[in-house]
Amino acid sequence: MIRFSIYRFNPDKDSKPYMQDYQLDESRLEGRKMLLDAILLLKEQDESLSFRRSCREGVCGSDAMNINGSNGLACITPLSSLKQPINLNPLPGMPVIRDLIVDMESFYRQYRTIKPWLMNDEPEPEIERLQSDEERKKLDGLYECILCGCCSTACPSFWWNPGKYLGPAALLQSYRFLVDSRDKATNERLDELEDPFRLFRCHSIMNCVEVCPRDLNPALAIHNIRKMLLKRAT
Amino acid sequence: MANMKKAGLRPVFLNLLQIRLPHGGVLSIVHRVTGVLLVLAIPLFIYLLQLLNSGTDGFSQALALLHGLPGKIFLSLTVWVLIQHSLSGIRHLMMDMGISYDKNIARKTADTVFALGLLMVIVTGVAIWL
Repeated sequence: MIRFSIYRFNPDKDSKPYMQDYQLDESRLEGRKMLLDAILLLKEQDESLSFRRSCREGVCGSDAMNINGSNGLACITPLSSLKQPINLNPLPGMPVIRDLIVDMESFYRQYRTIKPWLMNDEPEPEIERLQSDEERKKLDGLYECILCGCCSTACPSFWWNPGKYLGPAALLQSYRFLVDSRDKATNERLDELEDPFRLFRCHSIMNCVEVCPRDLNPALAIHNIRKMLLKRAT
Repeated sequence: MANMKKAGLRPVFLNLLQIRLPHGGVLSIVHRVTGVLLVLAIPLFIYLLQLLNSGTDGFSQALALLHGLPGKIFLSLTVWVLIQHSLSGIRHLMMDMGISYDKNIARKTADTVFALGLLMVIVTGVAIWL
């Protein structure tokens, strides 16, 4: 038997959230190994249990949740790596809509503010705006972000200053556009970030790097943005 | 409006006892706590300094205070707080310089700071207690 303790909250019935214990017969997994497989079977036992999931292979980022205290994607977390009872909670610091489903609006709002698109006022060339191998390489470790929210919701600075601090995910993406050779709004982007909260609330505790299911390094991206600001000022 | 009202009622999961912090996170909290403790210790040290400078009687009184059990405990704790805060401060400065942004290295430097802090306290503890 695999034992679970899962955060439950139904806004229509419950005045406050509570933890519910579940048990799953291992044989029902039929060789499937991931946490999401087990949660899907639990949903067959109790169809009121709610959570998001889609691609089930770590690409869509929908099933981000707090697993035994650490944020991660249920679909790529092997059951064998988890201590029992497996504690499942919604992403920390986000308003809970129901059970493990949180309202990601504030996260997306922060992402929107960094203008996650290429800005370039120069006349359009006849062919594509080409990049050299070196220029393209600068985007590695940045473009792979799937916006699951694991990093930002693991960040105490994001918990305590939700509307003000952009959070690791948005800042990683901000850096992705800052270093893109095709983007010409570097100064404008840096102006937006030069603020005591938006960027500088990061204290480099590296929670974001610890939990990123794609092994990306938002803390380093934040450090690099700071270096860009310093370079610009000197 | 109805939506806004409902959104206000949404609970938030933020149970710090259940959320696992990496070693660097724990170190960051300890850095802040030790910083506050250091500030709080300042008046006590100023009092001691004033006592030490107030003449022969005050000097022996201050020495007696420092050699008593509460004095020794206070001194040991303050020494640990000072060492821990300085070491984690140096680590923060190193990170500002771009050193140890790798997940594994960051863990190791955090552990090293804790270990070095304890080691230095044991060494100074010998001087205080023996």
